[in-house]
Amino acid sequence: MNLVRPLLFFLTLGLFALQGFQGYGRRSYDYSSGPNVPSEFYWSRLQYTSAGGTRGFRFFGGGWSRDYPKADNDCLIALRRLTRINSPSPLNVADLDSDHLFDYPWIYAVDVHTWTFTDQEAKRLHDYLLKGGFLMVDDFHGTDDWQHFMAGMRQVLPDRPVEDLKDEDEIYHVLYDINEKFQIPSEVYVNTGRTYEKDGYVPKWRAIRSDHGRIMVAICANMHLGDAWEWADSPEYPEKFSGLAFRIVLNYITYSMTH
Amino acid sequence: MFEFFLKYPRSVYSRGQFAFLGAWPKWLLVLLIVAAAVGLAWLIRSRLAQAAPVMHSWRVWIVWSLQTLLVAILLMLLWQPAITVAELKPQQNIIAVLVDDSRSMAISEDGSTRQAQAVHALQNGVLASLNRGFQTRLYRVDAVPARIDSLNTLQPNAPSTRIGDSLKQLSEETSDLPIGAVVLLSDGDDNAGGISADAISALRARHIPVHTVGFGRERAEHDVELDDVVVAPRALADSRLAAKITFHQRGYAGAKLNLTIRDVGTGQAKTLAARTVSLGPDGNLQTETLMFDIGGAGARTLEISAAPLPGEENKANNTLTRVVNVGSEPRRILYIEGEPRWEFKFIRQAEEDDRMVRIASIVRTSENKIYRQGISNPKELATGFPSRPEDLFVYQGLIIGSVEAGYFTPAQQELIREFVDRRGGGLLMLGGQFSLADGGWNATNLTDLFPTTLPNRAGTFHREADPRNGATHTTSQLAKAGADNIITRLVDDPAANAAKWKQLPYLMDYEDPGAPKPGAAVLANMITPEGKTLPLLITENFGRGRTAIMATGGSWRWQMSSPLGDTAHDLFWQQLLRWLVSDTPGHVAASVPSQVLLDNGAIALTADVRDPQFIPARDVKVEAHILGPSGVGAVIEMAPVPDHPGQFQAAWSAPKPGAYLTEVTALRNGTELGRDVLTFQRMDGVAENFHTEQNRDLLERLATQTGGQYWKPADLGKLAASIPFSEAGVTVRETKDLWDLPLVFLVLLLLRFSEWWLRRKWGIV
Repeated sequence: MNLVRPLLFFLTLGLFALQGFQGYGRRSYDYSSGPNVPSEFYWSRLQYTSAGGTRGFRFFGGGWSRDYPKADNDCLIALRRLTRINSPSPLNVADLDSDHLFDYPWIYAVDVHTWTFTDQEAKRLHDYLLKGGFLMVDDFHGTDDWQHFMAGMRQVLPDRPVEDLKDEDEIYHVLYDINEKFQIPSEVYVNTGRTYEKDGYVPKWRAIRSDHGRIMVAICANMHLGDAWEWADSPEYPEKFSGLAFRIVLNYITYSMTH
Repeated sequence: MFEFFLKYPRSVYSRGQFAFLGAWPKWLLVLLIVAAAVGLAWLIRSRLAQAAPVMHSWRVWIVWSLQTLLVAILLMLLWQPAITVAELKPQQNIIAVLVDDSRSMAISEDGSTRQAQAVHALQNGVLASLNRGFQTRLYRVDAVPARIDSLNTLQPNAPSTRIGDSLKQLSEETSDLPIGAVVLLSDGDDNAGGISADAISALRARHIPVHTVGFGRERAEHDVELDDVVVAPRALADSRLAAKITFHQRGYAGAKLNLTIRDVGTGQAKTLAARTVSLGPDGNLQTETLMFDIGGAGARTLEISAAPLPGEENKANNTLTRVVNVGSEPRRILYIEGEPRWEFKFIRQAEEDDRMVRIASIVRTSENKIYRQGISNPKELATGFPSRPEDLFVYQGLIIGSVEAGYFTPAQQELIREFVDRRGGGLLMLGGQFSLADGGWNATNLTDLFPTTLPNRAGTFHREADPRNGATHTTSQLAKAGADNIITRLVDDPAANAAKWKQLPYLMDYEDPGAPKPGAAVLANMITPEGKTLPLLITENFGRGRTAIMATGGSWRWQMSSPLGDTAHDLFWQQLLRWLVSDTPGHVAASVPSQVLLDNGAIALTADVRDPQFIPARDVKVEAHILGPSGVGAVIEMAPVPDHPGQFQAAWSAPKPGAYLTEVTALRNGTELGRDVLTFQRMDGVAENFHTEQNRDLLERLATQTGGQYWKPADLGKLAASIPFSEAGVTVRETKDLWDLPLVFLVLLLLRFSEWWLRRKWGIV
């Protein structure tokens, strides 16, 4: 009896960890990671330390790694197929604690309402953005998430205004002419039919610009583009969401490499 | 000494002709010399058996040579050697005595001015001895010669000296006079840059020898002099320019010198650059480069000066002036990129801060799409890379990124050549996976356009193999030619600049551009992970334009991996792109030989006029509208230059000192083809302050080329004896015996003595 409880505890913990690693019971894929093939473009996911929550740490399985690697990989496949961007390298993780962050002028971050920065990390991200880096954030919903995201953002860029992007903005026409945008839900939509989470009823296509008007931070709030890439091959997940999500990210990447 | 041994002045020998006066034929002399040589050889050989053993060697030939030479000279004397020379007839010729009265002759040395020394020499015997055999005419000479009655009227205050022009004018004005010779007393400080061939020809045509007498020290004791300053005569607004300042000094080796560049064209002079340099060895030319920001549009007058050092003898030669015309018209560059890549983004980002250079770009985003930026209207570049000259030639520069040669049609490739060669644009090729040899550019007809011979293989492009750890670095460093180049100057101080290049973050990729061609300049190198040094930035002039290769697509790391605020990346690209377009001419390109006219307002304007396709234009009306100081203005029609299509020229003279603005316009059937603006400045009395040391070289050359002689003031006592031997004026040919030269008798004695001394030494006397 004394052994049953500990065994059950560790069994539960193991299953939980396994679930987390495989994306909550999703099919596991054999992805390699790391920039071991010289490329012009490296799909780079930002690794940061999350505050609290069930995955409040910076190791694999933390908030930064949500939907990794399948979402990223599907996106990379689309990038290779639909653009001339040289990107043969497998997925890459860019650690905010390393100056090698500067070697990857494009980074993608999710779950950003959980991110926390040390002063050194905030400065590194600040310098990265002002020197010409591009950050795309995704997968956070509602008022509270926005507040938490902005708390981190204000540590990085204290005075930069956040603006809503208009349909005419160049970022929506650099590769595809995207004249109609709508809320892109997570895969929760399959079971609930809801496109929103928490109180994030309206999609926010937002950005923070440099002094010259260049978008440094592209914000996809109240949306989950990562799921739309990841579930693009699911018969239950509507194609229109994945289609827009792919076009959006390819435009963002192309924009980051031309502006 | 010369005349002691040879009896006559040097000029007799330099101007005379050798002859034998004897009646016997010359062949007989030769025959007798040969016979004597043979006879002496026979005689010596027949007695050799009885001679001492020591003579059975080369010594016998020495004896034979000395005896043969002695006999030969004696025989020659029997034929009465002589020299015939033209000699001025006494009292029938005029000697023109020219005294330099320019300001440099007022320099005081050894207690009196140079001119006072000249006057003193003339008044103390020279003039009197000349007057004994000839008539003399006195002239003062500066920009022109002017006859004077007395040496007392000389005032050394003329602002310039033009010795060649003055001598030519003198020759023309005295064409009906029997000028036997010219005596020029001067320091040789000529402001025209030397004696022209025309002047020499005019003197030689009349056989007038010019005897030059040099005054003034040949070496100053304490002086710094600016020799030249090279600055681009045109620039874009807000450009960073380089001024190459060449100077020399005497007496200050190892001292510190402050160099400054000031803009004095505006009401209040403004210092643009200043640097302290260490002075090198005495007399050596030293060149220093100062960088400065030229500022906004307009004509700029730059004053480049070296601060006077303690005890400097001449402070007026420490400053030079240059004129720079700063244009306000922004330049456009067409940048075509074969794939979205970081280098493109960061080059564009660097140019955002440069309001004078704008980039219109085409990026191939997908196989079937292009993305255009920086276009001025929706139709611009809508069909991709231009196929017509008028569409491509609206740009001043062209950047070809990672694009295969095959992407361009043969006609477009030819258009690229014409863009550089005919239009005069700048072409920059970047490294990349589809660039240079890897893009098949080595198999095109454009290979002669590139500043390197591209490798004849693919696989020349390499990316950083370990980007996560950056373990296979390709670093960059400044090449020798880049040390003073404005493109590669990231920090003003040359040493700090070289260090800065070494500190730049490593490149994310590199491409082997091949070997630089002769005439190309390698401004920067890169060190590959294997330790191989390859050219990184190579530039070359081609046709009317210029080409360059930047053999990487990974310089963006200089921006991303340098500390925030580091300007190296942006500055480098801004300077490179400005170089690419700054000198690209418009449809009208006006020029003058020199933008600073010293003392003389004569100026030759030229214009190169091109039609909309940049083909040399004919049937155009070209006018120069000149606006000068104090209301001076002129409209001059420029005439076509024969056999040079598109070239027009006009001569004009700026009447007053000051700055002149010239606008050249070209009209065809009432429609303007283009216009160009240039500036020049006339400055009087400045050149005289330079080269104040005696220019002995010029005076010697003038004397040699006209058959005269250079004299030091101390030797002037012998001048009068040399003057008569001239072919100018009224002459008579004189024959002078040579048999009685003291030198001949000395040689005869020496020959006999030598034989005796040798025999004694060998122990056979």
